[in-house]
Amino acid sequence: MVANEIKLIGIVCERSVDLTDRLDENGCLKEDATVKIIQVPCSGLIQPIMMETALKNGAQGCFATGCRMGDCHYRDGNRFLQHRLEGTRMPKLKPSVDKERVEAYWLSALEYEKLKHLIDEFRSTTDKLGLPEKKMANASAS
Amino acid sequence: MYIEPIQKNIVLPLEKGLNALFTQRYNPFYYHGALPNLFLWVLFLTGLLLLVYYQPTLATAYPSMKFITYEAPFGNAMRSLHRYAADGMMIFVLIHLCRVWFTDRFREYRIIPWLSGIVLLIALFVVGLTGYMLIWDQDAVALTNMTLSGIQSLPFVGPAMASFLMGTWISGESIITNYTVTSILVFHLGLPLLMMFLLWWHYLRITRPVTDPPLALMFMLLGGLFLTAGLSPVILGDQAPSDLNVVSGKLDFDLLFTFPQYLVTALGWDVAVAWLFVLGIPVLLLALPYLQKKAMRGQYAHVVFENCTGCSLCYNDCPYEAITMVAREKNDGTRFKRMAMVDPGRCANCGLCVGACAFKAIDIPRCESPDVLQEIERSLSASL
Repeated sequence: MVANEIKLIGIVCERSVDLTDRLDENGCLKEDATVKIIQVPCSGLIQPIMMETALKNGAQGCFATGCRMGDCHYRDGNRFLQHRLEGTRMPKLKPSVDKERVEAYWLSALEYEKLKHLIDEFRSTTDKLGLPEKKMANASAS
Repeated sequence: MYIEPIQKNIVLPLEKGLNALFTQRYNPFYYHGALPNLFLWVLFLTGLLLLVYYQPTLATAYPSMKFITYEAPFGNAMRSLHRYAADGMMIFVLIHLCRVWFTDRFREYRIIPWLSGIVLLIALFVVGLTGYMLIWDQDAVALTNMTLSGIQSLPFVGPAMASFLMGTWISGESIITNYTVTSILVFHLGLPLLMMFLLWWHYLRITRPVTDPPLALMFMLLGGLFLTAGLSPVILGDQAPSDLNVVSGKLDFDLLFTFPQYLVTALGWDVAVAWLFVLGIPVLLLALPYLQKKAMRGQYAHVVFENCTGCSLCYNDCPYEAITMVAREKNDGTRFKRMAMVDPGRCANCGLCVGACAFKAIDIPRCESPDVLQEIERSLSASL
């Protein structure tokens, strides 16, 4: 097992929480190397299939961040993502996905501390859920 | 020109505070574009009721104002609401302007809302200024004379414009006549109608404009408006205008609408300098989007020809009406009838269409969705 095992994947809108100087060379949080961050221009770009892929490939959980509701730089991005995750807008998150492993946060550029706190909470929830199926399969095989 | 430090150090902290106070659902800063509309409706309604009693002639304008202010049922309330709603609208329009400027939401794909917004601002300013003239007490006459002489001093177009505003072209006399009052009223009523057309232009490139604030915020602001009108009802000068040539008086300036007159009378600016200042503001605002290099020149969403099924999801979600659905040519090798097409000039390169696409058929160059998927897979397989 590698030292910094990635447990959580965060797909982050570059206009929401400001992560400049907060990431290491692997794109993980400096403060917490088990959280891999992928930056996108707007939370509206995030396809539910991206979050599904993360879980399918063995992430313990996947979260998205967007700007504060009402303040999306491109008007509708965060609202649309929220609707997709809730299953009221196409393309939807698959109903079979464990909703407890998927989170979305709406934060402004200044709210890194709040994001850190939310990530810690998310981790304790997903830790209780245990390893996702693929990792368990791998663990038993090895 | 977009000034990033202002956003980081002023706008965002201010909004953080407002979020704590109002919660993000009712943060007035998140409805800065919708709030002026609320005041616009108040202005239309109260203005209609004021129009019932207002008589735009030299002899009757002041008495009718006196009747509205002191005798007509709810007349004073209507006048007060009309006056404070005008201030409220201008204040929220200025907040709207500053916020879209400081958050970089005014150029490139947003150029049409910005340019039409500046024209709307000028129209709103003229409507407010003519509103102060219509009161037609001694101070309002002084304001009218100052404005007319100011316009007259403009080179080339000045005399013609002043003659138009004064009604000289009808009455043939270059003094204030019945036509002057009427023509001021025509401006005061006609420009708001023009503003309705300008608002259509303002919303032209926006698929889902937010035109109304949430009900709770609406009640809060209307409550504030009624409170202001109740606590500080408007008054009218005791004197009917006796001297129609008066050019200065004890003017009770409302800086939002009469600041040019304030610059000249109270601060003693030269009329030409004041004009340069007043005209400089809209010219500078119109030039702002062009003072900076385009952030995303030549970048826009592209459709993957073979994958597009013509399902219209991206077309529905695009916030700037940049996507149109076009018919595919017959026998183009796919079994689909339509496909999406992107208008490069309107595209914001934001990626909302990517999030809407379930068929890997549209992507933006700065963040291709296959790359994102690959990075997710790669990072997780490395840690296994």
